[in-house]
Amino acid sequence: MTAFAEVAGSFVREQARTPLNLVLLVFIPIFFVVIFASVLGEFAEALGGDLAEQAATSISAGWAAAFLCGTLAFFQLNSARDADRRLASAGLGPWRVATGRIAAALVLGALVSAVAYLTLWLRSGVEHPPHAALAILIFAAIYIGLGALIGVLVRGQLEGSLIVVLVFALDVFSGPAMTSGGGLTSFTPTRDAAELLIAAGGGRDSPASDWIGAAAVAAGGIAIAMVAFWLSARSRGS
Amino acid sequence: MEATTRDGDPVLSARGLVKSFHRGLPPRRRTIEVLKGADLEVRAGELVGLVGENGSGKSTLMQIVVGLLKRDGGEVEPPGTLGYCPQLPMVWEKLTVSEHFQLFGRAYSLDEAETDRAESDLLDELQFERYRDFRIEELSGGTRQKLNLALALMHDPELLLLDEPYAGFDWETYLRFWEMSERRRDAGMGILIVSHLLAERDRLDRIYSLVDGRTVPA
Repeated sequence: MTAFAEVAGSFVREQARTPLNLVLLVFIPIFFVVIFASVLGEFAEALGGDLAEQAATSISAGWAAAFLCGTLAFFQLNSARDADRRLASAGLGPWRVATGRIAAALVLGALVSAVAYLTLWLRSGVEHPPHAALAILIFAAIYIGLGALIGVLVRGQLEGSLIVVLVFALDVFSGPAMTSGGGLTSFTPTRDAAELLIAAGGGRDSPASDWIGAAAVAAGGIAIAMVAFWLSARSRGS
Repeated sequence: MEATTRDGDPVLSARGLVKSFHRGLPPRRRTIEVLKGADLEVRAGELVGLVGENGSGKSTLMQIVVGLLKRDGGEVEPPGTLGYCPQLPMVWEKLTVSEHFQLFGRAYSLDEAETDRAESDLLDELQFERYRDFRIEELSGGTRQKLNLALALMHDPELLLLDEPYAGFDWETYLRFWEMSERRRDAGMGILIVSHLLAERDRLDRIYSLVDGRTVPA
């Protein structure tokens, strides 16, 4: 086994051995796709948007993956900060620790996305399966970046998790068709991914430019997470 | 991995270490000067103590030497291999004792056979073999501390830095700890032990005291 596989495998096991993570992995997608989706349309109407039922159900699978990946990335960084630094200073180095963390976050993100996709498929069917799966993965990647970024900036678990929820809530309620449009809501990180998921759920194709834009934001999320894990594992200034 | 230095060669030389911490936001922003030019030298085959009051900067000095903290000034000439046992075990709650040895074996560039041998030897020496497959969250404070110490020793470093290493040890383990330290010192390892209270002064070759950010012989 290579050092990379050893480190990444250990970090995945660390998360998988938290029983609450496994419970949330099942219940969060069900909650979002079955319950949250039904009230999302009502919120949209109140905010001046016109989110249809099918679109709300589709996009909720993306929100489930986003929420789980954001919180997992935050707690992965927050709870293991000291041990990761010790491992890095023992000779592994911050980049290799960060690479192991990213690999673990992506494995968990893929698992979370698969559960969210399966829940969506069981709930309402998916008209365009590969597109929907890819769009949910993009949600996951973006929130791995956001969760890790908050983790490196905020040390307190309560404060950090509240900020993850706040960012998530702002993102959800300024998503496509949630408001009458315009302003800052056009620049939320998951905007393109949400458009893609709504289109895929309804069986519509999306232009290549939308895919490129969403992929670029997802790659940015992974890059931010990589830097956040590196910053967490390296020597501190104070 | 064997220590390659000869007895008497310096394995750690730190000069003029300066470190401040900045806390709070304006207008309540405060700067706390912890180290104001601390010097430290440890030679191969030497057991050195570093004492000082709570908050005097002992752990800060040690973390600078290890590389966990950046220094504001001064020079550190680190050894070729270094083992560090932090004051509080820096470990992963959900991983087992054995998985910790495997991870740190990778970090120290040991091969599988060397890692397995170090794991078996240290589990036996510190007498916690039966906890090999236990997760850290299932261990008592004293057993966690045994693992904390074992992880610092497993690559047989030239310099061993121990920050309050025996907190939580029972009396037998405490005595075994000193026997282990003396055996390694006699084999050529340089050892620095940090404590706010060193009861075993007779066992040490030299003692530094950290007073007002500077080290003085005690």
